[in-house]
Amino acid sequence: MTATLLEHRRKTPDQSPLDELLSAAPATAGGPDAIVVDGLAKRYPDGTEAVRGISFSVGTGEVYGILGPNGAGKSTTIGILGTLVLATAGRATVAGFDVATGARDVRRHVGFAMQEIGIDGVATGIEFLVLQGRLHGLSRRDATRRAHLLLGLVDLEDAANQRTGEYSGGMKRRIDLASALIHLPPILFLDEPTEGLDPRARAAIWETLERLNAELRMTIVLSTHYMEEADRLCGRIGIIDRGLIVAEGSPAELKASIGGQTLSLHYAPDSPAELLSRVRAALLARDDVLAVVATDGHLSVEVDDAAGVAPELLRVLQHEWAAPEALSIKQPTLEDVYLRSTGRGFGEEEELAA
Amino acid sequence: MNANSPTWLLTLRALVQFPRNPMVLGFSVPPVLMMFVVFGTLFAAVRHLPGFPTDNYYEYLAPAAVLMTTVPGIANSAVALATDFQNGYLYKLLTTPASIGSIMLGRLLADGVRLFIQGGAVLLLALALGAQIATGFAGALLMLLIGTLFGIVTFGVLTANIALKTKDPAAVQAVFPMAFLLIFLTTAYQTEDQVESGVLRAIIDANPTEYVLRAMRELMLTGYDWDAIGLAFVVILGLGVLGLPLTIRNYRSVYR
Repeated sequence: MTATLLEHRRKTPDQSPLDELLSAAPATAGGPDAIVVDGLAKRYPDGTEAVRGISFSVGTGEVYGILGPNGAGKSTTIGILGTLVLATAGRATVAGFDVATGARDVRRHVGFAMQEIGIDGVATGIEFLVLQGRLHGLSRRDATRRAHLLLGLVDLEDAANQRTGEYSGGMKRRIDLASALIHLPPILFLDEPTEGLDPRARAAIWETLERLNAELRMTIVLSTHYMEEADRLCGRIGIIDRGLIVAEGSPAELKASIGGQTLSLHYAPDSPAELLSRVRAALLARDDVLAVVATDGHLSVEVDDAAGVAPELLRVLQHEWAAPEALSIKQPTLEDVYLRSTGRGFGEEEELAA
Repeated sequence: MNANSPTWLLTLRALVQFPRNPMVLGFSVPPVLMMFVVFGTLFAAVRHLPGFPTDNYYEYLAPAAVLMTTVPGIANSAVALATDFQNGYLYKLLTTPASIGSIMLGRLLADGVRLFIQGGAVLLLALALGAQIATGFAGALLMLLIGTLFGIVTFGVLTANIALKTKDPAAVQAVFPMAFLLIFLTTAYQTEDQVESGVLRAIIDANPTEYVLRAMRELMLTGYDWDAIGLAFVVILGLGVLGLPLTIRNYRSVYR
């Protein structure tokens, strides 16, 4: 399904490693869907149902995010697509190949940076990348050239001849990502790609991914629990909760789907749960309130016009129930979408998963 | 296997990395050499028994010492495989078009090369202690080849499967003593005629190691006994074929 077109651009003296890498890279063209997932499910031998019949598709050149807290089924989903996890039901095709019956063909078309970093600690950085490239069919010369460019791209040129076992956690994460790019795959799977990175390194990786997607039409599927990451990088997002996709759309669509704005009412941490419950019920009874979600002494109140409703709401709460310690107005975020879709906060779910 | 095949690339990877782990090289050969010298000294009087095939006990012992190097030594492949599981690198390799078969074979071949050389060190020591190899340099190479292949198809395959199944280097290491049992339950130290126990004789006859050892001993003491050499290769081939279903069975356990 996916064909490649070789693009050759002139190298200029001030090119960055990414410019140079892109200059000789195959640009991806192809059919409309790079990935099609249909009723995919995974039950582990211990009975855990990590994924419970999910379906979605990812268009060629799209950046698709699988967003959810730890334990939601993100890594299992991406693992199945990357052929490292065997599905127990359903079907998925990647680059036109079935992940169950055409695993080797799938691997030729994808790069995969896993959540658990997989590097050869005895090899040097350059050796590690060259071997990965050669296993993907590159000649020694091409693999070496690309490895040097990628080391520059992930800011590890100085550590090229150092054993990767001696790298810091952030360096390991970066070289792992570089290894997923060595063959410039048309489809890239990234499982929590910026986990453990400092803000500067994270921003640099975001920029790289944006350019790979923009200039090569590289299809990128990334799982993340960072809202900001999903919001910035992804054209579409599937929010996954307990193995099911509970909401899907572009970040703007998802945020718009939950209505206008959110009023956050903060109560003292020792406020009785009964009080919050009664306030919530009273708020829900009002016509100008769309939804209320309670989490840890905090009520998220969705309304159409927060600034207009807030004064009246405060007055009523003060007179009839209990005034909050603080009130803030915020635009909808992906976390609000998650809250609305599942009735729980990200933090709560991650605590449960832990 | 061409220069770009995953098996060859992974063999090279392991070969390049051996010198970076001097412990494997440094601690795997000296114990065998020491055992060779100690047992050679302790049991030297056996050579005076009637019908013993040589006057130099080290000549008799050398093939067994080669097996003592190659059979337990090949388990390092499985330890490395299990370590790759634990540090996640094996899954990184599985994101490439390389198959688990290539990954296993690449490592086994590299360790085979290492053990071939280490087995050569044992023969050199035997020569230094006055032993002679009846078939000369070519026979020595054939002896090392038989010993190495036998190590791969027996203990190599067994421990690689344990690594696949458990993904735990400690579980692989726990099987090491079995390798010595395989070798001790042979005519490694004395001829079968000198073994008084009928039960032990039966065990020796049933032990495939014995047939490999006999072929190697003929190369050391007498000459090219093609019947014995042929039987050794049949045993090696047979064990290899037997190990295949076990490997296929455990193959899918790699995937989660």
